[in-house]
Amino acid sequence: MGRRKKIVQECERLMDKPENIRNIAIAAHVDHGKTTLTDNLLAGAGMISQDTAGEQLAMDTEEDEQERGITIDAANVSMTHEYEGDNHLINLIDTPGHVDFGGDVTRAMRAVDGALVVVDAVEGAMPQTETVLRQALREGVKPTLFINKVDRLISELQEGPQEMQDRLLSVIHDVNELIRGMTEEMDDITEDWTVGVEDGTVGFGSALYKWGVSMPSMQRTGMDFGDIIDLERADKRQELHDRTPLSDVVLDMVCEHFPNPLDAQPRRIPRIWRGDAESDLAGTMRLVDEDGELVMMVTDIGIDPHAGEIAAGRVFSGTIEKGQELYVSGTARQNRVQSVGIYMGGEREEVERVPAGNIAAVTGLKDAIAGSTVSSVEMTPFESIEHISEPVITKSVEARNMDDLPKLIETLQQVAKEDPTIQVEINEETGEHLISGQGELHLEVIGQRIERNQGIPINTGEPIVVYREAPQEASGEVEGVSPNRHNKFYITVETLSDDIVDEIQLGNVSMDMPELERREALQEAGMDKDTSQNVEHIHGTNILIDDTKGIQHLNETMELVVEGLEEALDDGPLAAEPVQGALIRLHDAKLHEDTIHRGPAQVIPAVREAVHRSLIDGEIRLLEPIQDVRIDVPSEHMGAASGEIQGRRGRVDDMYQEGDLMVIEGIAPVEEMIGFSSDIRSATEGRASWNTENAGFRVLADNLQPDLIEEIRQRKGMKLELPPSVDYI
Amino acid sequence: MLTFVGLGLYDERSITVEGRDALRAADHAFAEFYTSRLVGTSVDALESHHGIDIEIRDRAGVERNPDPILDAAEAGDAVFLTAGDAMISTTHVDLRLRAVDRGIDTRVVHGVTAQSAASGLTGLQNYRFGKAVTLPFPRAHGGDGVPNSVVDSVAANRERGLHTLVYLDIKVDDGRGPDAGERFMTADVAADLLAAEWPDRLAVAVARAGSPDPLVVADRLAALADRDFGDPLHLLVIPGEIHHVEADALRTLAEAPASLLPER
Repeated sequence: MGRRKKIVQECERLMDKPENIRNIAIAAHVDHGKTTLTDNLLAGAGMISQDTAGEQLAMDTEEDEQERGITIDAANVSMTHEYEGDNHLINLIDTPGHVDFGGDVTRAMRAVDGALVVVDAVEGAMPQTETVLRQALREGVKPTLFINKVDRLISELQEGPQEMQDRLLSVIHDVNELIRGMTEEMDDITEDWTVGVEDGTVGFGSALYKWGVSMPSMQRTGMDFGDIIDLERADKRQELHDRTPLSDVVLDMVCEHFPNPLDAQPRRIPRIWRGDAESDLAGTMRLVDEDGELVMMVTDIGIDPHAGEIAAGRVFSGTIEKGQELYVSGTARQNRVQSVGIYMGGEREEVERVPAGNIAAVTGLKDAIAGSTVSSVEMTPFESIEHISEPVITKSVEARNMDDLPKLIETLQQVAKEDPTIQVEINEETGEHLISGQGELHLEVIGQRIERNQGIPINTGEPIVVYREAPQEASGEVEGVSPNRHNKFYITVETLSDDIVDEIQLGNVSMDMPELERREALQEAGMDKDTSQNVEHIHGTNILIDDTKGIQHLNETMELVVEGLEEALDDGPLAAEPVQGALIRLHDAKLHEDTIHRGPAQVIPAVREAVHRSLIDGEIRLLEPIQDVRIDVPSEHMGAASGEIQGRRGRVDDMYQEGDLMVIEGIAPVEEMIGFSSDIRSATEGRASWNTENAGFRVLADNLQPDLIEEIRQRKGMKLELPPSVDYI
Repeated sequence: MLTFVGLGLYDERSITVEGRDALRAADHAFAEFYTSRLVGTSVDALESHHGIDIEIRDRAGVERNPDPILDAAEAGDAVFLTAGDAMISTTHVDLRLRAVDRGIDTRVVHGVTAQSAASGLTGLQNYRFGKAVTLPFPRAHGGDGVPNSVVDSVAANRERGLHTLVYLDIKVDDGRGPDAGERFMTADVAADLLAAEWPDRLAVAVARAGSPDPLVVADRLAALADRDFGDPLHLLVIPGEIHHVEADALRTLAEAPASLLPER
């Protein structure tokens, strides 16, 4: 513990020297070895024993993570490293590689300035590599590359120096192609962010055997690839580690090539914060001013059995201290900071204060959720974190014992707070709650956590796919009449372009932003000027346009109109699935003179029905979620593997050779992909590795619509027959 | 035949004789109590007093699914009962039009309404009232506080020297009959809401109009907000310009403080 305490003290000293701080994330495709790499770094920094690095998996704190051997939540840790005679504070976030947990990756990227991308030397850049790179670059986070598992090239594949070099260069080339493509249109990134061996922005090595090299390290140690191959072949891995330890190579690379907060924040703040660039707050954030007003972005909510909820995030301005009363975006109350700390491995160490430029772990922020902006003055919140992650799968969860019900509800609410890509629907009447998430695994893990960590035995239902409903063409004008017939609303529906839907999903268009900016963003995405000026409300990816002029009392009634609209869109007319991509226009309204005769019981049903009827007139159809599928398989199993896609109403788009494997790429509906993992295993004798990624929603073929609609209606206990006006399917 | 019968203001005896006769002669009696109700009686008492079964319809049962009422009116004599008058503050003209559409004869038997009481008990003259308004419970209209349209209407009436009758919201859980989960806005609550706009303006609170012990009190809105006017129903009047006889009436019948009334 003595050593640990010293490290904490050193961290505290360095916290005030932003030029010596590096905030970094490690991100990779699943199983490319980030967590093992992270343990190497911790061991190198003296945080865990050298002997156990690689086995300990200190970052995988949840039992189920260590069991599955994959990281599920992003975890935080601080460490120190001496580089060129100067001690540096490195705040590190490990991120999950499995695609179901992409929301954690994007939030982690918000907190850091550099991303160490780890790629498996044998597998090369994989789909999730592309995803994490995109997530990093979108947040203005600079990448470097570490190519892992080089030992396998030598020992397993018996490659010589030339073959090895060719392979490594081709990995670098692929990664650079991705970086170049993504940064081309980012005008705030003017320098070249591609990586290269000569620059020292690429490292190689083996996290498992704890050795690594880079161009600078080779110059320093005098080791070249030939020496490495010799030592690896001779099984002298300990010597390899002693002579060129992985942690030094990587941490040197981090200190040398990743920007410190002083360099990063001036560039990143305009990218992630849309507030007034001329304000004092913008100034103190750009300058990493520890004396400015406090601004912190919460990227993660964790639970400590003793301290309760811990909000972790990046302090961009000011200094966070115990006792501060802070605003939390999206809530009216202020929260009082109970303690502040930093992460050391899985544990939190309390410290007096955490100044700008660091990652802090704070208790007392009861209202904060992952993604909240926390500040000492009221301010424009940070851009919502850009992660397109609509839930595609739902499962019901119920407590096996009625006594556990209150605890289960509390836990579910907690789960939703920790991971905003999870949606939770509490039904206190039936006790059957719904959790929706990114995939089967995502929900399975949540279920296990509830059982194991909270000790609540639960029953979960079969996974159910989440569908969408969307109009396919413009509707005619529909009149909605209130039950008392004294109020009328005239409504049409049009389809929104994909560009506009994307902008809404990315958070580039929202009701939270200043009107003028929203208008410009919409016009840029192709909306005409008049329409963009009349935006009244955005719900999901749907927009309400108020085209009325000078109708008395309408402003007073608009909130109820919006309520009716939201009800109509949350439960679409076909199967009560959410509506997406609809532009709803209110053209005219006739209202009763007296408020009571145009109250909720009148306006909400009138609007709801008008919206539904106009959606039906716009030939609304059911959409199903689809996934990109990639399978890597030996060529003798190629037919069986592609059959697994085609047999699932899928489409094979591409097949090509990569190394000694065939790669099959295609798409398939999420519904059909349930159970895919065991089927592909048996079809290919376990020789296939595969990856799926949610790829949005697609209109379901007309011949499948009626049956599916009926099935969903039946499951939801709705009337089975559709309105007679649905005659177009 | 569909006969709309106003039950009047207070109890089973507030109905007119003509209305009573129509009710007792009917084949079917329907009533709605979601817009207002008789606080001095119950449905049971009404039924036994008049010797007829009364079917209570909730909002959906009147506005969305009025067919059972219309069917009964087509087949025989049906009456449709409401508190007050069926066509004044609660407008069931829509139901009447639907009946006419189906070729059913209709008739209206008036009841005493809050509007008569507002003039009758305060002494403020019927000729000098402007637009009436309903003051809803906060949130019930989709916003906080007093809706702008209420403020605007009172202000517009004032500008023209006219009085404003303020109906007070009642919250009845649709479908569960007159006693379940209902809430009446009282005059002190209403005065408190309006005092945010005009604390010192003269207003008249009327409680239990039509009952044996009505109460009429005139004072500043802020002062009325602190009083307790007893059992419902209540209403409020915000006077405009005050005629000298109106001033006398407010002084004598409603204990209006002299300082709030014109001198002569």
